[in-house]
Amino acid sequence: MKRDFGSVRSGPLKRLSATVVLVAAGFATPAMASGDKVDPQFVYNSSLAATCASCHGTNGVSVADARVPWINTLTPQEIAKAMLEYKNGTRTGTIMPQLAKGYTVEQIEIIAQVLGKK
Amino acid sequence: MNRRLFLGQSAALIGTTAGMNKLALASKKTKAHVIVVGAGYGGATAAKYLRMLSNEGIAVTLIEPNGEFISCPLSNLVVGGSEQMAAITTSYDGLPSKYGIKMVKGRVDKVDASKKTVTTDDGTTLSYDKLVLAPGIDMNFDAIEGLTQANRDGVTLQAWKAGPETVALRKQLVDMPDGGVFALAIPLAPYRCPPGPYERTCQIANYLKENKPKSKIIVVDANPDVSSKGKLFKQAWADLYDGFIDYRPAHRVTAVDAKTKTIKFEFEEDLKADVLNILPPMRAGNIVRDTGLANMNDRWAEVTFLDFASTQAKDIHILGDSIQTAPNMPKSGHMANQHAKVAAAAIVAEINDFPVNPQPVVTNTCYSFVNGSDVVHVASVHQYVPDRATFIPVKGAGGLSPAPNKLEGVYAWGWAKNIWADAVA
Repeated sequence: MKRDFGSVRSGPLKRLSATVVLVAAGFATPAMASGDKVDPQFVYNSSLAATCASCHGTNGVSVADARVPWINTLTPQEIAKAMLEYKNGTRTGTIMPQLAKGYTVEQIEIIAQVLGKK
Repeated sequence: MNRRLFLGQSAALIGTTAGMNKLALASKKTKAHVIVVGAGYGGATAAKYLRMLSNEGIAVTLIEPNGEFISCPLSNLVVGGSEQMAAITTSYDGLPSKYGIKMVKGRVDKVDASKKTVTTDDGTTLSYDKLVLAPGIDMNFDAIEGLTQANRDGVTLQAWKAGPETVALRKQLVDMPDGGVFALAIPLAPYRCPPGPYERTCQIANYLKENKPKSKIIVVDANPDVSSKGKLFKQAWADLYDGFIDYRPAHRVTAVDAKTKTIKFEFEEDLKADVLNILPPMRAGNIVRDTGLANMNDRWAEVTFLDFASTQAKDIHILGDSIQTAPNMPKSGHMANQHAKVAAAAIVAEINDFPVNPQPVVTNTCYSFVNGSDVVHVASVHQYVPDRATFIPVKGAGGLSPAPNKLEGVYAWGWAKNIWADAVA
């Protein structure tokens, strides 16, 4: 069985004990297929981005009739920009200014990479 | 770009245990098997994300007594009459067909933590490598004299677990004569869905105002004040439902007399009503208590927050409403959905023998309808703080709506459709 769970991408984590990991390198390879060895970076990044899925849909893809702002049409750069503007107070909204302030800049960048249009 | 991932130095310290290594070895021969008990906001999400995050490398069995998912959030709209049950009901069909989850219809009656088995109500015994318990809450009817029998007979209803009682309560409201009294009794916090009773108050009042203008709702609350979105709800009650709501704080129900439809309190005088919607004190789902995992006052289950593992039994994870929550973490469907993702990622890590994410984060988003279309929200973000080994709300983040508004009414439905799909479709 092979299923495509969407656009979450990941790559190999070279050294798990490394204290610095290049996030950008983690998105260079395509989504993992069924049965592949599980990549820690994929799990960490996907589960972080999954905090957004409760409102914006699994993998950031809304169901057809869900009238929340859709984010899967945005690039990673656009998502990161919007989140950082919500976080620093230069962008208004209902709930997002309050939620964005709870994430670190690093988390926002990872989320944007995972959920943004490739 | 040299961005430092949230996987920091502490990841190396968490390390692995002998048990995890054993599991990892086992999984090389046959897939590790995780059983998830309860297909609500927490359990269904955990099952799905266990499959997704493991690249289908883990076999998942999801055991649930109900044949379809009925949402508690938005069920107050069914009681109030602006929605029907179909609008809050979702099929479980996508979980097996899209994610390869084995669904078992049944109730888990027994967990044997030493043999690592569960037994369902039809006598079937299944083995697990890891067990996830997400049974939600159960009602402590016995805490109120006469309530067990009264609720069994349908004289009183809780309608807090959405389902047949939601429909029954709607019917009692419709059948109530104009000039009648609807009584809603709220237990001391913590209980499932902190703003839920106050949203229900709005929905009942909304119905009465339009259909039975001589009637009223009397809210008897064991808490000292409206315990969630207090200012917003009180403003809505004053603006929209003047004269329809009689709110009585610090009223703790001790007994109910089904024959006379009377509620008795610790101190205050008795209250007779036409419809009795009594929410008893709540506690962890029975299977959690029966397994000896509700170690906090025999009421809630203590977990370690990096992986939602029980502190009482190995290889058992507990999430959603059954747990002793972190500071200011509400018992909500949204939060259970968030717990599930942290737990699923941790279980995948443990089974595959790599470190659990040392810095998870969870959010809460809760929309409440003050009538059929206007909504207020409360939101929060909770970061894991290693020094305190728990989730702590981020200061300066989260907050409330300034006032009820229609835009958030639209977003509330969008939230519902997406989280239902995220959990069960």
